[in-house]
Amino acid sequence: MKALALALAALFFVIAILYGTGVLQLGAHEPGPHVKHAVLFALLGVLSLVWVRFQAKSSPASLR
Amino acid sequence: MTWVQAMVLAVLQGASELFPISSLGHTVLVPALLHWQFDRRDPSFLSFVVALHLGTAVALIVFYRADWVRIVRALLASVARGKLSADPDEHVAWLLVVGTVPVALLGVFLENPVRALFGSSALVAGFLICNAFVMFAGEALRRRTVAGAAAPQTLALFPWADGAKVGLAQAAALLPGISRSGSSIVAALLLRLDHADAARFSFLLATPVIFAASALEVPKLFAPSASGVLGQAAAGCVVAAFTAYASVAFLTRWFHSHDLRPFGWYCFTFGAICLALALAKVIS
Repeated sequence: MKALALALAALFFVIAILYGTGVLQLGAHEPGPHVKHAVLFALLGVLSLVWVRFQAKSSPASLR
Repeated sequence: MTWVQAMVLAVLQGASELFPISSLGHTVLVPALLHWQFDRRDPSFLSFVVALHLGTAVALIVFYRADWVRIVRALLASVARGKLSADPDEHVAWLLVVGTVPVALLGVFLENPVRALFGSSALVAGFLICNAFVMFAGEALRRRTVAGAAAPQTLALFPWADGAKVGLAQAAALLPGISRSGSSIVAALLLRLDHADAARFSFLLATPVIFAASALEVPKLFAPSASGVLGQAAAGCVVAAFTAYASVAFLTRWFHSHDLRPFGWYCFTFGAICLALALAKVIS
């Protein structure tokens, strides 16, 4: 699970960069850089890193 | 846009964003009823709308400031610890994260296409009537659940999956005429929260989305195209903030002893009148 979380974090950060630089246009309304998309994926990347941290320290029983 | 129109829109936004009556629906239908002609894609109008949303978000943050301080503190503490604890504030913090992710994803990818599809007054009025039925059905099902003696749920023990479901329900508000707070309160009621907890969770859940969506658009306020409306945007932001604060103060008290049905009747009546006028081509 930790590897999955790390892979997701990397993927989300790459997608954020691609949206932020305007390379990725998938699901975008207009051409150009997409700040909202980039921020959203960057936050998902941060959440994935938090998940990595939780994987390392918490036992499954503590997650409801 | 005149100053009177700007201030009416600010009051409308501040109130209808938090009352379960659809702010988007009202900002389409009320100008149509008053025969105000706005180009909704005009950059200056979009800048003005950004300012109104920012005012609403600030009002929500100020109203729940004590909660937000505890929630953010608990969230940071749990990240630092790398482990979940039994702290109720921490539980609410992660519920808000879990509930915000689906609506943020759907909002970012679907907002523009969905709104481009449903711009006509008749459709918006139709969705407002649907919003009424969602609230009526929600209250009826809630009463059945309570009568079935199912144990009520509290926010401090609300399961993660249910938090995600309430967050997902918010996405229904992408349809103009469907209320964000209405859909999320109904979802929370069906998941056995009481009205006061459902409203609190709905308002807390709405804050990051409204704030982030408007904060990311703030640069639009300083674009050359917005220079003509900067004064109206600033005043509108303040008026929307005061109206939103008064609205959330009223609603948090209201939901301690009342339910959603009066708002349902309002949406049904207003939606039916607007639908009749739209079908008669009195409004477009």
